[in-house]
Amino acid sequence: MKDIQKLRNIGISAHIDSGKTTLTERILFYTKRIHAIHDVKGKDGVGATMDSMELEKERGITIASAATSCEWGEHEINIIDTPGHVDFTIEVERSLRVLDGAILVLCSVGGVQSQSITVDQQMKRYKVPCIAFVNKCDRSGADPFRVIRQLKEKLGHNAVAMQIPIGLEADLEGVVDLVSMKAICFDGDKGENVRVGDIPADILQEALEKREEMIDAASMFSDELMEAALEGEVTEDLLIPAIRKGTLAREITPVFMGSAYKNKGIQPLLDAVNRLLPCPSDVENRAVDPAEDEAEVILSSDPKKPVVALAFKLEDGQYGQLTYIRVYQGSLSKGDTIVNVRTRKKVKIGRMVRMHASQMEDIEKIPAGYIAALFGIDCASGDTFVSPGISLSMTSMYVPAPVISFAIIPKDNKAEISMSKALNRFTKEDPTFMTYVSEETGDTIISGMGELHLEVYVERMRREYGAEVVTGIPRVAYRETITRRAEFNYVHKKQTGGAGQFGRVAGYMEPVSDEDFVFESRVVGGSIPTQFIPACEKGFRARLKKGPKMEFPVTGIRIVINDGSSHAVDSSDMAFQAAAKGAFSEGYAKAGPVIHEPVMKVVVETPTEFQGSVMGSLNQRRGMIVSSQDEGVMCVIEAQIPLAEMFGYSTVLRSLTQGKAQFTMEFAAYKRVPKGIAEELVRKAAEGKKKVA
Amino acid sequence: MLKKELVFRNPLRLMGHETEDILKPGGFGAVLARAGLGKTAILVQLALDSLLRGKKVLHISLTDPVRKICLWYEEVFRNIADQYNIQQTDQVWEEILPHRLIMASNIEAFSVSGLEKRLADLTEQGIFHPRMLLIDGLPFDETARATLTGLKSLAKEHSMHLWLTVRTHRHEAPGPDGIPAPLLNVADLFDVVFQLLPEEKEIHLRTLKGGPSDSDSPSLLLDPSTMLIKDKGD
Repeated sequence: MKDIQKLRNIGISAHIDSGKTTLTERILFYTKRIHAIHDVKGKDGVGATMDSMELEKERGITIASAATSCEWGEHEINIIDTPGHVDFTIEVERSLRVLDGAILVLCSVGGVQSQSITVDQQMKRYKVPCIAFVNKCDRSGADPFRVIRQLKEKLGHNAVAMQIPIGLEADLEGVVDLVSMKAICFDGDKGENVRVGDIPADILQEALEKREEMIDAASMFSDELMEAALEGEVTEDLLIPAIRKGTLAREITPVFMGSAYKNKGIQPLLDAVNRLLPCPSDVENRAVDPAEDEAEVILSSDPKKPVVALAFKLEDGQYGQLTYIRVYQGSLSKGDTIVNVRTRKKVKIGRMVRMHASQMEDIEKIPAGYIAALFGIDCASGDTFVSPGISLSMTSMYVPAPVISFAIIPKDNKAEISMSKALNRFTKEDPTFMTYVSEETGDTIISGMGELHLEVYVERMRREYGAEVVTGIPRVAYRETITRRAEFNYVHKKQTGGAGQFGRVAGYMEPVSDEDFVFESRVVGGSIPTQFIPACEKGFRARLKKGPKMEFPVTGIRIVINDGSSHAVDSSDMAFQAAAKGAFSEGYAKAGPVIHEPVMKVVVETPTEFQGSVMGSLNQRRGMIVSSQDEGVMCVIEAQIPLAEMFGYSTVLRSLTQGKAQFTMEFAAYKRVPKGIAEELVRKAAEGKKKVA
Repeated sequence: MLKKELVFRNPLRLMGHETEDILKPGGFGAVLARAGLGKTAILVQLALDSLLRGKKVLHISLTDPVRKICLWYEEVFRNIADQYNIQQTDQVWEEILPHRLIMASNIEAFSVSGLEKRLADLTEQGIFHPRMLLIDGLPFDETARATLTGLKSLAKEHSMHLWLTVRTHRHEAPGPDGIPAPLLNVADLFDVVFQLLPEEKEIHLRTLKGGPSDSDSPSLLLDPSTMLIKDKGD
């Protein structure tokens, strides 16, 4: 293990198809972790090393982040390859939580695309310093300086070119390093021979101009550099620390360029990772102390302190569950006992490995700052592990609530067993993926972050677990409630031979705002014998599950019973349950029952130019626009919209904004369904019943 | 009923205005004060008065984020309800929310043409037709006249009235008629001007221009604990 100053935990984040998997592959090749290069969608059928899942290889996209480590110069670099699609953002978010720095990969043709905006927002949230790499400079239409302008305009970065390209598109030969003022070319079949030479005369002037811009930007972070710049004596030793300081504060974004596919520009990028991105001790990490009212505790990367570690990713491999862990404080050794803060269970550490995609290397110890994987640990993603005796939890990771759900029905018995195995695994791996069995229909419901998110899991069930399932249409969880007080007085009487049944229940029901159900007995004088009161409550509760109006669950209701009567022989638990059920129906019909629907708080982040059309699209969905906040080039619109109107919104938003906007949505409150819509629901329910009949 | 009571009880009534708008469509009002005295609180009370009467309010803040403005509204509404012991305000709150739209922007990004575009977005698509526009934090510098003239024609075009906050400074001497410095060159554009003035331990609310009768305005205070307007005698 290296000195912590020489350790880098980095992520590679970007828009889908910007070439980040190819870039990772090249990094692993130049750091001698792999000895051959396979391309994504490669003709050799092997696929890039980081995409270990079959599905990822087929779709040419990265779904799960695989952690891998490599060495460059004297530095050790841990890389988390992150997925690029918006529906898998939990993976990106989780990676960013454990990273100290990142490379933001951008396509030199496509520029700052919607996902770059999403990823950038996430990096901002976790204050991850980053450097940018403008990839695909060999493609026709490549313009790295346009991308730099977009970084400034669209993302508000203080983007500064650290290099200029030598040739572009098909003529791309290498880059000019503006710090050393040298031309760097990449020779050999795979660009492995770096040739450093003089800057070609035709681009020297441009290089000088861009270097001036870079020095201007960097001198904001160093007085010494500013003085040296005035005297015209800028040295590399002055420039690099100043740029690093700006980068760590997220006040400058150094931009590198090249083409991963053509093996150009990767080695200088690795140098930049070593020189400009933070080491674990440069970053302040915090945990909370549950015993001290969640007070924040700053962690130190001192390996002698008690252990605090975070399990950020689980993978089901051929040898069982593999838990990716980052140690924030102390150090973990084989045979140590640690405690899972959530379950309070003690765990003994068995095998520990450092991962390189699907290959692994056994290790004995993980010091603070390092990322590794553990075998045989039963936990969920996001669990914190600590030394026995201390109780600290890593700040809870931001887990967005699921926004869409549908039923899945296994095709046969075999599929049913495999499906439950798969669901068990997926819910542990991904906190945004949830599953439950609908009490109403008995169907298994899955919910997650988007249609594609759920579809990928359905596909994974099929491929990895052999579970063929049929998916249903998305559903909204409506509820019923009452709007006014109503009285009831119901007699249940049955005398059809044998033991009779008798019970009378009287009282009233009224709306209550902050509780689902309140039951109160004010029966005096034993008009309902005490032993039958629980039966009455049971009878009322039974009716709540399926409301009389639409068969949606009933909530927000208070029932008070204040009178009744009984029969010495014919009264029983069953009779009073039946009486309460009857009383409920009688009162409910008079209590102005209405349907409530879940209303979501929807927050759209969009470039300002689409503000009007986004607002229009929200308004069309029975939405109430609450506010809009301009944040430079982006604008954040908040609205409250019924969930039922939100299906398919991601597609609408994408097409409205050329894919540049994103939205999040979380449950806000249950609100009354407007009359017209309620009538429509009643009509549909009636049709459904007819069909069943 | 509750809403009517809240309209009737609104401390604004103390200023001598009956249950009608203080300003006519196209009219301009200003709330002047030094930093931190309660300009936003007065704006929010003016807004709540309109909201309770079912009139739509567009609140534009150039200094505070949306979240903070929302908190102002919640606080002032709760204080009004508490002060007059009005129960079950949840429903009223739910009813007035759709009539309010908050926009936050920074001063540099704000322009009359930008606002015009936003208003067109809102009205043409039938999203929101404000009757009252509040702008909190507009700088009153040498360019103010041009901006205000633009806003005036915008207000007329959309038949809405406009309230602005104006920040005054201790070191600036007022004009001969008592109009504070920032408003000197643009006072003619305003129909009503209120000023919050700290005097000893109290914050007084004075009508500098407009109002039901300029000379005879009652002596009002801003209660620092609730940020509501109150009669000095209370």
